[in-house]
Amino acid sequence: MSETENMIVLEAVEKVYPGSTSPAVERLDMAIPRGEIVMLIGPSGCGKTTTLKMMNRLIEPTGGRIILDGDDVTDVNGDQLRRKIGYVIQQGGLFPHYSIADNIGVVPKMLGWDKNRIKERADELLHLVGLEPSTYRDRYPRQLSGGQQQRVGVARALAADPPVMLMDEPFGAIDPITRDRLQDEFLEIQRTVGKTICFVTHDLQEAVKLGDRIAVFGTGGRLAQYDDPDTVLTHPADDFVSDFVGGGAAVRRLSLLELSRLELHPIETDAAAVGNRNGTPVAEVDGSGRPVSWRHLPDRDAATTTLVTVPLSGTVYDAVDVMLDGSASLVAVVDDEGLPQGVLHWNDLVAGLKTRERGA
Amino acid sequence: MTAVDLQPGVPTPSEERKESGGGFLGVIRANYDLLVAPAIVVVGLIVMVAYVGSQTLDTIEERALEPANVFGQLGQHLLLTAYSTVLVLIIAVPLGIVLSRPGARRIQGGVLALGGFAQALPPFGVLLLLGFWEFGVRSAVIGLTLAALLPVLRNTVVGLQQVDQSLIEAARGMGMSARQTLFSVEIPLAVPVIVAGLRVALVLNVGTATLATYIGAGGLGELVQQALRLNRINLLFVSGAIIAAVALLVDWLAGVAERAIVARSG
Repeated sequence: MSETENMIVLEAVEKVYPGSTSPAVERLDMAIPRGEIVMLIGPSGCGKTTTLKMMNRLIEPTGGRIILDGDDVTDVNGDQLRRKIGYVIQQGGLFPHYSIADNIGVVPKMLGWDKNRIKERADELLHLVGLEPSTYRDRYPRQLSGGQQQRVGVARALAADPPVMLMDEPFGAIDPITRDRLQDEFLEIQRTVGKTICFVTHDLQEAVKLGDRIAVFGTGGRLAQYDDPDTVLTHPADDFVSDFVGGGAAVRRLSLLELSRLELHPIETDAAAVGNRNGTPVAEVDGSGRPVSWRHLPDRDAATTTLVTVPLSGTVYDAVDVMLDGSASLVAVVDDEGLPQGVLHWNDLVAGLKTRERGA
Repeated sequence: MTAVDLQPGVPTPSEERKESGGGFLGVIRANYDLLVAPAIVVVGLIVMVAYVGSQTLDTIEERALEPANVFGQLGQHLLLTAYSTVLVLIIAVPLGIVLSRPGARRIQGGVLALGGFAQALPPFGVLLLLGFWEFGVRSAVIGLTLAALLPVLRNTVVGLQQVDQSLIEAARGMGMSARQTLFSVEIPLAVPVIVAGLRVALVLNVGTATLATYIGAGGLGELVQQALRLNRINLLFVSGAIIAAVALLVDWLAGVAERAIVARSG
């Protein structure tokens, strides 16, 4: 990969805190490619947050170079630098005495945008993160739920359209259900904005779900492994990573397999197909074509098998979840309109999943 | 993407605005408990006037209780209070801000201890000592200022310290300079605590200003002194009631102002 394809490059970056003999981060070399999400993960005190804060020089490195978009930023004015880098922290870090719109406008205001432009930008971003501008722009942070505050936190970081965003456990203090939804929305937003994102987390599930790459930090600020999630799960670089990833790696991998990339078994909805007995499951559909129950299954009694569905946009993990939940050995995969697209069998999971290359 | 977890229970800004009220009258309208103190003061003053009206006053008493005399002293009293409180504000708030900066944290304890020492000195003694230096308003104001410095200084330091560190980090992380962070985040969020300290200082000053008369700075203490010197019980009763009423009213005004400011700074 050539130099310009990397948005952030850390060269032998090191941090030794005053009064400490061992470094918090030890001679770290790392390159973050443009437009990718890199997850920094590791046990407490492993230097992942220190690393993140050195990227925008909230913490000054004691050695090495930081290169942002081809420019050495190790010695430039830190305040100026940080205005060009989005920054999101836990709970959003919203200013309680600023309205939501004013919170979003902090960086644009410092950059000298005119009032109308700041206002328009705030509305645009509120819309992007799924909050109705007319309802929320004049509210204060305490009037919003934790999840909504975090959305505003993301909107605020995006305000001046920085190419890079640094996120420090943004979803850490949010309940699991909301967190899951925020993660989905976050990926959705990233698909639109395509930022280079560095994201600190302590949650492996989150790292696997969101990351294009995962950087696993060991104690003493050592980068133990830096790879795509699949490789980290299946080929841990050393015993430390292996211990950290722990058991259940095979199950975690399921959430990396998108249903839309799998070769699914065909499904029929036409009652006439029952007669063919060619091994294709036949589903009974409602008025709008959505499957409601099984009419015929080749190898078992259709009447006693519950029909469960999973959206095509989901992963194999979701499919397994609904199958276990409904005690069904197969699941109908449906598209956004609820129309059946295919079938996934329980047996497929153990037999090995066949994937197809799409759009490649 | 859809807007989820909307919270119907959360008040809209317009509701909240109405509640916290526009300015002084709005605050009073929204907080009826604020009417208790002035009601007590009014009743007390009526009782006092009724009592004095029922007594036959001698010429000394009549002269002392002439409105021009009483209001003149009241004016002096309020002026002493105002000067010293403004001086406290000018000295203690900036000093507190400086002491809360990372570079000055080491001397913070020492300066606060010095402030505590100044407050522990009996104001009467300080005023008399200052009287040796100069008789009059100037030394009285200095004495009052010294006595009331600590609450504001301490509240400024504490108010700035209790600002959520993550907000300061968010501000710096977005590229605010240390100065911008201080003025747009730290100070606004410390205002409620600082204002509470100022209110304590103000009330202290109203009370202590009664002693200013002993170094010739006037004020309502003049009336008390006269009553004691001439042994006029009626006069003593009236002056005591007026001083109590003024202290209660000043505290009340400060309380209303405090709520108005806190409501605005969110």
